[in-house]
Amino acid sequence: MLDNENLKVKRNLTALVEFSRVINSSLDLNFILNNVLLTCLGKFLATKGLVALKINNQLVVKAYKGIAQESIIQFPEIEVTENCNLSEKLNDYLILNNLIASEKISSSNECVGIVCLGEKLNKQTYIKDDLDFLKTILNIAASAIQNSLIVEELKLVNRELDSRIQRLSSLFELSKEFGLFSESTKVTRLLIFSLIGQFLVQKYALLRFEGNDIEVIEPKIPVEELLSNIRKYNYYKIDTSINKHQIESHYPELFSMGIEVIVPMQIQGKTKGLIILGKRINNSEYTNADIEFIFSVGSLAIISLENRRLFLEALEKQKLEEELDLAREIQRNLLPQKIPDYKSFDISAVNISSKQVGGDYYDIIELDKDDCVVAIADVSGKGVPASLLMANMQAFLQVICRQNTPLDEATGLINDLISSNTSDGRFITFFWGILNDITKTFNYVNAGHNPPLLIRNGTITKLEIGGMILGVMKTMIPYKSESIQLQTDDVLVMFTDGISEAMNRRGEEYSDERLEKLSLEVVNENADSILKKIQCEVQNFTDGANQSDDITLVIVKVK
Amino acid sequence: MADFNTSIKDQGAVSIINLKGYLDAHTAPILENNFVDLIDKNRFNIVVDFKELAYISSAGLGVFMAYIEKIRESKGDIKLSGMTEKVFNIFDLLGFPLLYEIFKSEDEAVKKFIE
Repeated sequence: MLDNENLKVKRNLTALVEFSRVINSSLDLNFILNNVLLTCLGKFLATKGLVALKINNQLVVKAYKGIAQESIIQFPEIEVTENCNLSEKLNDYLILNNLIASEKISSSNECVGIVCLGEKLNKQTYIKDDLDFLKTILNIAASAIQNSLIVEELKLVNRELDSRIQRLSSLFELSKEFGLFSESTKVTRLLIFSLIGQFLVQKYALLRFEGNDIEVIEPKIPVEELLSNIRKYNYYKIDTSINKHQIESHYPELFSMGIEVIVPMQIQGKTKGLIILGKRINNSEYTNADIEFIFSVGSLAIISLENRRLFLEALEKQKLEEELDLAREIQRNLLPQKIPDYKSFDISAVNISSKQVGGDYYDIIELDKDDCVVAIADVSGKGVPASLLMANMQAFLQVICRQNTPLDEATGLINDLISSNTSDGRFITFFWGILNDITKTFNYVNAGHNPPLLIRNGTITKLEIGGMILGVMKTMIPYKSESIQLQTDDVLVMFTDGISEAMNRRGEEYSDERLEKLSLEVVNENADSILKKIQCEVQNFTDGANQSDDITLVIVKVK
Repeated sequence: MADFNTSIKDQGAVSIINLKGYLDAHTAPILENNFVDLIDKNRFNIVVDFKELAYISSAGLGVFMAYIEKIRESKGDIKLSGMTEKVFNIFDLLGFPLLYEIFKSEDEAVKKFIE
């Protein structure tokens, strides 16, 4: 009898050693639990059993045998205390499923879970010896289970780490690729590839804002529908990422298109575009970390896109400036290169352009040996359009001077031409006259130009006879001309409003009065000196303030 | 910059793209062109073999996403084969095994098309 008992103990010990060896040889949780359960069922000839582990303070069934899956699903969700005291709810479940023996799996410091076993095949009850043996098995199993749980957790942590590293390397890689010189289509394409690869997305679109326009890039969403829906909202004010639930409640139309996340692409807090993604094929939702990643990638991309745009703009501007330089050169060549010498007249002239190309113009054209045309004009506006019109005017003036047409009539013809050549409300103020070197007569027409000053014996006469400015309408009322007999020491001061309206830093104009006063003072000098003095005083007056208009000045002194 | 190249061979109705080197944002357009060419030629049964691929980034994975829909609509598929553990790990991390059939060898993948 004693021998028999000894044999039994010995057999039990051998079984325990073997069991310990097997379950400690593996870190695979399923393998271990399976072994625990099979060993228990085998030892006690039970037909069913389950192992539930404590995970986040809840018992979760991790392995079972001989129990229908439906019954496992009904396993109660219960909070458990540190030492796994069985609740009433669990007891009810065990009774219902005829799991008559249960024991805690306890490690040295805590309860890991429980094992529940069904009836023995031979209908015998579990005696104290059985329960002691069960306790021993589970004590051995506890550390193996704990180890494998830690390993599982480590695996999870590792995977999480892998995932973060993968994202970081994606970001790093893209920042390398999104260089200044990347084509914008390449940038957007890489952005899309990275996002759809990262998140398994098949519905997507990139929007880029250009003023009020929305550029849709690489859409895999019906574009018209998307745009009409997004325009219902202050889409350009979207300055934070919007997740699925926010879209569902705030942007229902977009939600019904299957859009699950909207992430702004921002530069310095300003939204320049949106990344729109549909659901992930694996049905998981975008986490905050995902959205953060999308935001980072989007920012990288938009900075690259904007940099490229600015770079191209700068390039374009530089090209334009070079062209303007060329235009200025051409325009300068349109002005007289050399002022002819006359027996009776000393002539001097200057033109200073405020921008690179301007709308002021003067000319001195020799008609024949004795007659010479002096002209001054100011085209409204500035820049290229004004200079084009000015070139047009210059060409026509050169032609008409060869036609021997009376000055008043010729002015009417010029007006007709300029009227038909301007459509945008531009006009030209124009003054011209013919000096005769023999008779010292001056025959002029003033078409709305600042009246030139004729200074004789300390008095000023303004030359105002003529008609309306050029370019407003076809000539209805003929221009009038006036003929003046000039005398020695008479001075003619012709100027554009760049002189009279030159402004100083206080916003004051140089004014006609100042010009007239100065003209009277310098009248005894020669033409060149009068010109320089006026020019100099205007410059002193403005004292470094920006020259806002072209300045043109023509001085004729009668010898 | 790391090298990447592809070679394409036809085996009956199946086209096999062999990838070699580093498939990342920089080199993704090469594989993209391969897909576009095959689609143009109406060859929709595609096996992509990874055994010589050292690295794939999400931009590389994006190329697979960008064309799979079109290829499946045309009754074709992209099947993947021969991944190293490192490459598979990236596919696995991002959940690709759910969407793509992945085989140990090129032959197994090709066979799957013929079945």
